[in-house]
Amino acid sequence: MKQYAYYPGCSLESLAKDYQLSALEVSRALGLEMREIEDWNCCGATAYFPVDELLAYTLVARNLAIAEKTGLTDFVAPCSACFKNAYYTNAYLKKDPDLADHVNFALEEDNLHIAGIMNVRHLIEVILEDVGLEEIRKRIAHPLKGLRIAPYYGCQILRPRKDHEEVENPRYFEDLLSAIGAEPLEYASKTRCCGASLIITNRKAALEMVRILLKEAIDRGADVIATTCPMCNVNLQVYQSQVNREFGTEYSIPVMYFTQLMGMALGIASHRLGVAREPVPKAREAVTA
Amino acid sequence: MTAELSFSNEIINMMYATHGNPISLCLQCGTCSGTCPAVEFMDHTPRAIIGMIRENLKEEVLASNTYWTCASCYHCTVRCPAGIDIADMMYVLKRYSIWKRSYKEGLIGPDFAEAFVKMVVNSGKSYEPILATTYLPRFTAAQLVQEALTATGLVLKGKMPLLPKKIRRLKNFQRMVKRIIPLGEAS
Amino acid sequence: MTARIMMIDDDPDFVAGIRAILEKAGYNVDAAYNPKEGFQALQSGIYDLLLLDIMMGRGAEGIALARKIRKDPKLRAMPVLIITGIREQIAFLFPGQAVHPNFVDVDELVEKPVEPNLLLEKVSALLKASEEKKPQPQ
Repeated sequence: MKQYAYYPGCSLESLAKDYQLSALEVSRALGLEMREIEDWNCCGATAYFPVDELLAYTLVARNLAIAEKTGLTDFVAPCSACFKNAYYTNAYLKKDPDLADHVNFALEEDNLHIAGIMNVRHLIEVILEDVGLEEIRKRIAHPLKGLRIAPYYGCQILRPRKDHEEVENPRYFEDLLSAIGAEPLEYASKTRCCGASLIITNRKAALEMVRILLKEAIDRGADVIATTCPMCNVNLQVYQSQVNREFGTEYSIPVMYFTQLMGMALGIASHRLGVAREPVPKAREAVTA
Repeated sequence: MTAELSFSNEIINMMYATHGNPISLCLQCGTCSGTCPAVEFMDHTPRAIIGMIRENLKEEVLASNTYWTCASCYHCTVRCPAGIDIADMMYVLKRYSIWKRSYKEGLIGPDFAEAFVKMVVNSGKSYEPILATTYLPRFTAAQLVQEALTATGLVLKGKMPLLPKKIRRLKNFQRMVKRIIPLGEAS
Repeated sequence: MTARIMMIDDDPDFVAGIRAILEKAGYNVDAAYNPKEGFQALQSGIYDLLLLDIMMGRGAEGIALARKIRKDPKLRAMPVLIITGIREQIAFLFPGQAVHPNFVDVDELVEKPVEPNLLLEKVSALLKASEEKKPQPQ
């Protein structure tokens, strides 16, 4: 079993417990051992940068430094915002020795040191690259036949661009959904922002952004929207009723983490994926059919 | 080095470590504004804000809600043909406005950022329900009821624990923070 | 000889004010408005004193820069006076608590706004102390 330094992030302890459950179940089923790093702290999401960017890098670096101590090579985050912060902190510290020196000076207080040796990856990337579509297909016990899924990538898993990867029209999420037997839809809004923390700081703007995403998914006949990030998932799912009140719509579409959908296709019991709480009759039908 | 600095130079200086190109290279093409998913809620579009910075319209720029309406989705950044990290520029404006207390009145964004950082410095972790209490005063009564219903619903659905967690080595963590931000007692 | 003072501070109004005070007192003053250009200017080695801000660019950069200067063999001995408004700038974080540059071996710290006489007093004392520390040519 390949081992990974796993960084769940704060949301997976509260609002996204279902993501935590399903991420760990699916990883185990696919032979990936996610070892949660000890005593990790909040990655800061997007809130430190307007106050002090050096502090933002330091807090993220603490998690990376703790991960380095495990001797493992890969730092894995299931949350897109945590992933983005860890990825860039790691990259910037490598590029800027003065910044690394200053951050390490602060890390001394917790007897830590960052060398910048972790390979920072998002969970979906690990599943796609280290397991692969071929192997996933082989392990599918209950293909999600006929389940029409809108693949929602969101922002921070794609942007800012890390290398030369496709950021305008990525296809890997669609490929993954096909591999578990589902029907991925062409979803033009798949990389459009969900509003993120604007749901708190500018509710009106965020609800409109969520509305656009829900509308396209429903217009295209999606049974479910699949997500790769707790923030996207919460905005699209929890705030649906507020969108309906604000715009007089009657949207009611399940929103699920890609790991929940994968888990169902792998034959893992719904309650172990945190799915029991979600109203997804169509998905269950597909599984039990 | 002796000339007085204009507002545009102040912003360029604050962006000295940006990973994109300088805003002086902006072509005013409007790709950012056409891309921005929140543009209709902004007082001025991102393109206009860059133009206004270059024209040194300091008061107008700072008084706008534009930079606090940026959700950091980086769509403008990856599309900018001049290679400017526009999302980073929005962060710089946020920082400028927090440090100088010069943001538009009535915005929740600055309070939220401050509350978030404060909470993490105190516990090592973030926790949405506690954060809520810090910005609730800015909400209308109807929004308050709505927010309470949503939060209660989440707790009832078992999505949220009742209490936030703290990291174990909090003391070390806080000393670490104070090496970066030299405020409070140094131990 | 007239002492040459370098000032690294991102606030142009503050720089202009301090410059006027110091130049009136007969000092030569240069300014840089971000830490990178400031450090480059210091490399010339012509400055007798540095006035350094804390909150610039990405955050509390003045602390990082002061640490870097103290590690630089050429600049190590240069007196540094930190002039900061950090308590005002991010007051919410540790309300009412003092600024502590304890991790950096700087010579003095004063908080903005600075009273002109106090500034001149500190500047002259730091320059004098630094002059006395220098090895005397035989």
